[in-house]
Amino acid sequence: MVPLQAQGQGQAQAQPQLLPETLVDLLGLGGFGVLGEIVAALIAAFIVGNIMLTMTAVAGPWAKRKITAAFTDRIAVNRVGPFGLLIIVADAVRLLSKELIVPEGVDRPAWDLAPIVLPFSALLGFAVIPMGNGIQLADPETGLVFAFAVASIASLGVVMGGYASNNKYSLLGGLRAVAQNIAYEIPLIVTAASVVIFTGTLRMSEIVAAQSAPLFSVAGVTIPSWFAFVNPFAFALFLLANLAEIGRNPFDIPEAPTEIVAGYQTEYSSVYFVLFYLGEFLHIFLGGALIATLFLGGPAGPVLPGFVWFVIKIWAVFLFTQWARSAVPRFRIDQLIEIGWKGMLVLSFANLVLTAIIVGVIAA
Amino acid sequence: MSLEQPRDAAAVERTLGDELETLLGDRVLGREEHVNAPGFVIRPGDVQDVLFRLRDEAGFDHLSCVTAQEYEDRYESIYHLKKYADPTQEVSVVVPTDKENPVSQSAEPVYRTADWHEREAYDLVGIKYEGHPDLRRILLPETWQGHPLSLDYDQDRPQVVPLREHANPLHEDHADEQDADTMYINVGPHHPATHGVLHLKCILDGEQVVDVESDIGYLHRCEEQMAQQGTYRYQIMPYPDRWDYISAGLLNEWAYARAAEDLADIDVPEYAQVVRTMGAELCRIAAHMLAVGTFALDVYGDFTAIFMYAIRDREKAQNILEDLTGQRLMFNYFRLGGVVWDLPEPREEFFEKIRDFLDDLPEALEEYHDLITGNEILQARTIDTGVLPPDVAKSYGATGPVARGSGIDYDLRRDDPYGYYDELDWDVAVEDGCDNFARLLVRLREVEESAKIIDQCVDLLEDWPEDERTIQSNVPRTLRPDDDKEIYRAVESAKGELGIYIRADGTDKPARFKIRSPCFSNLQTLPEMSNGEYVPDLIASLGSLDIVLGEVDR
Amino acid sequence: MIGVLKSMATTMKHALDGTTFTVEYPDVAPEVSPRFRGVHKFSQERCIWCRQCENVCPNDTIQIVMDDKRNGEQYNLHIGQCIYCRLCEEVCPVDAILLTQNFEFTADTKHEFVYNKEQLKNVPWYKDIDPLNSRNPDRGAWIGEGEGEVDYQ
Repeated sequence: MVPLQAQGQGQAQAQPQLLPETLVDLLGLGGFGVLGEIVAALIAAFIVGNIMLTMTAVAGPWAKRKITAAFTDRIAVNRVGPFGLLIIVADAVRLLSKELIVPEGVDRPAWDLAPIVLPFSALLGFAVIPMGNGIQLADPETGLVFAFAVASIASLGVVMGGYASNNKYSLLGGLRAVAQNIAYEIPLIVTAASVVIFTGTLRMSEIVAAQSAPLFSVAGVTIPSWFAFVNPFAFALFLLANLAEIGRNPFDIPEAPTEIVAGYQTEYSSVYFVLFYLGEFLHIFLGGALIATLFLGGPAGPVLPGFVWFVIKIWAVFLFTQWARSAVPRFRIDQLIEIGWKGMLVLSFANLVLTAIIVGVIAA
Repeated sequence: MSLEQPRDAAAVERTLGDELETLLGDRVLGREEHVNAPGFVIRPGDVQDVLFRLRDEAGFDHLSCVTAQEYEDRYESIYHLKKYADPTQEVSVVVPTDKENPVSQSAEPVYRTADWHEREAYDLVGIKYEGHPDLRRILLPETWQGHPLSLDYDQDRPQVVPLREHANPLHEDHADEQDADTMYINVGPHHPATHGVLHLKCILDGEQVVDVESDIGYLHRCEEQMAQQGTYRYQIMPYPDRWDYISAGLLNEWAYARAAEDLADIDVPEYAQVVRTMGAELCRIAAHMLAVGTFALDVYGDFTAIFMYAIRDREKAQNILEDLTGQRLMFNYFRLGGVVWDLPEPREEFFEKIRDFLDDLPEALEEYHDLITGNEILQARTIDTGVLPPDVAKSYGATGPVARGSGIDYDLRRDDPYGYYDELDWDVAVEDGCDNFARLLVRLREVEESAKIIDQCVDLLEDWPEDERTIQSNVPRTLRPDDDKEIYRAVESAKGELGIYIRADGTDKPARFKIRSPCFSNLQTLPEMSNGEYVPDLIASLGSLDIVLGEVDR
Repeated sequence: MIGVLKSMATTMKHALDGTTFTVEYPDVAPEVSPRFRGVHKFSQERCIWCRQCENVCPNDTIQIVMDDKRNGEQYNLHIGQCIYCRLCEEVCPVDAILLTQNFEFTADTKHEFVYNKEQLKNVPWYKDIDPLNSRNPDRGAWIGEGEGEVDYQ
């Protein structure tokens, strides 16, 4: 009942204003027609992109270290700046000023493109994510599919990097990445489809809106109908499949430092390494954004502004990946594929069918 | 330890020798009496025949070590044989070979472990083994000129070989391009998971290992030669710390101390034995902590919690060792005939520190079990991978946790007692799993057993009467064991049986000093464990062997 | 699955209890055991130039140069080559060479680690601890009857 109502509400609501439109109004670009819209869109994209890159910058050199240190009884970076925060600057300078080593025999255009494809595929995904407070670049009819589609381009980047590096470890890493992504993308998308069955739409803003209705109240606290509460099973499945999709422990097989050195990024240094590194963290955050949007009510939350809640949610997902990293061993590649095809896929289809039946019953 | 026991042992040895002489018949050219065992001199062509008989009919299933050396008039290979069931029963098979043409039959068909041992003998001394499947240099580069331990070796001979004369290192890489199903890959010498500078030449079929060959010698530091140039009394003792440098220093020192003390008939005061036992077990805990931590690191893939927790607990053991010995890794604490210092003052504080450590240990181990052994993913990764059946392990001379993880109940501390072990109450940890998980469990259980031993030692030391705390017996400042006295003695180090062969020549320095490294033999089993398995299992198996390259290469 | 959750609970417990094991080294001087063996200190006044330390040194770290009247001229010690086995201190009959607990030494080239007797004399104590009191070896065998107060400066 509830989801259907929510769906009805979502459709009934006026479409929320998107960030480029807001900017057109704000900057008075309306008079410039299409040109004005393009300029506004670019500015908006710049803003959103930079928000994500800033978060990545905080996460990569600083937060990751601090979190890992907390799990391992250490202190981690505390020398440069308050709480060691300026290590971000120091690391950026260090990494960017290193020599970019181009190994002999690399497949040049592909080798150079790979580190660009990876972060940008993740950045593209953020275009359709509603981040609260009207921060959303676009809200197409097929928003969810778009997000998954562009996120999958990352596999291409990884394979390009692995294949073009002229290194066997990179090749192994690239091949592992493909096998893993194929095995886990299907359960991921099928699980997401169960959410779509509830909402009846692929439009991101409507998926978020569908989760705003209250599910039930316990002692005065109203639990919203976030899909994590409506269908915890799907949430858990999605969380796990997402770990594999973004290649974090226990599914960090494409990199697997102790086995294949650093997998597809073995030969990359300096700027290219930074781009790979950025791309990885952007993917973690994109995964977090998708989880937040699909299962945690997007930017919804009490008291604080929506955008803050959105950031909190994706950082919670990031924290979860780091937590898993601290305690969970890595699977072997064959075990991983087995779990993907024999476990996750079956479970996700079961979840889909079950959801379909429930929704069908309710609708009837 | 009464005086009766050695005499009995000598008597047993003599009857054992007579029995074996009857068994071998006219293959025996002569008898030699080594301090530890009867020695039989045989012809170079009879090696396999004699060893087969000794293995199959007399039960000597453990080729502990092969020592090669050059005399003025001959070359000599000594096969030190033992029994896994009872390592006090030993026999040395001495194979003298011609000076001009040192060719001896290979023992490889009898004991697989002879493969590497004979390669090392060929490499360093220059004896050729007929019928050896793969007689190449092992520690030194392929291009090395001469054999460094032979008598006529020219130290000043330049060894720089230009690249064009060196075998193309990439040659093998492209050797089987026709066979496109497999891929050659170098794991190491620079690789995150090789625990030092080890080079594994792997042939992969996709993700599966078809063949793996270890290329060792990157860390060869001529430890045997250095010991041969040091005096027994002082100068050798600092070096054992540097063989297995993973804080197993006291265990290594004990290997040398035991061999040299038996060689020179030095008694060790009982008090010093207790202190030694306690220190050695602390070292064992420290070494096993690192083994568990790095093994987990290989499986987990990052410097994750378990590695850090293991290092933290190891650090505590090291703090105690620092208080005791004055150093955290390179202890140099043992002296022939005892130890250098008594326990640090105030003793109560020191005991307190150890007790605190022991009290915290069960909780820490509980955490390890929660974190690793209880973790289903780790179990999925390690159970039934890296399988080493007991008979294969024996054939390769595997010892220590590797053997005990394969269900071989073999621990020199109990089977060939030294120190104070036979007076204490503890168990040998044995697991039947034969896989990576079993080896992990053995190490964790051994930590518990070591804690038990330390606890009892502390009890003993606390109540030791003050006027009987003799830490060193009276040892002359210059030791000159009798000419041509030979001994092979082993102790149970953290990795397994660490044996020392010493031949005295009447001077204050050994004429031949040979180290039987447990890691050297254990590493040999790697292909047996990982062929046909996946790359991650190869890495896990390597981690579960717990090798230290400093000891493999010496 | 329960094992995995237990593992994660274990690490979370450590994260939440907030204890750390890190020694903030340059800010906080680490605890060093009284017996710890660091850089040598040499007392020319005490030395009787018996060359026992030079003889016992396992890797020829100590070099002593004497003139033709057997008076000591140079006492050089390569602290970068030294393996800190403390045998020189052990054999010294007059406690002329002593390993301090000072482990902090740096140099730009390895040659700067060759200390002569003046440099060895100026090696500072670590935290002003004189380690001789804390190491209690059986010195009687070497020293014979008492040498009086030990004064290295």
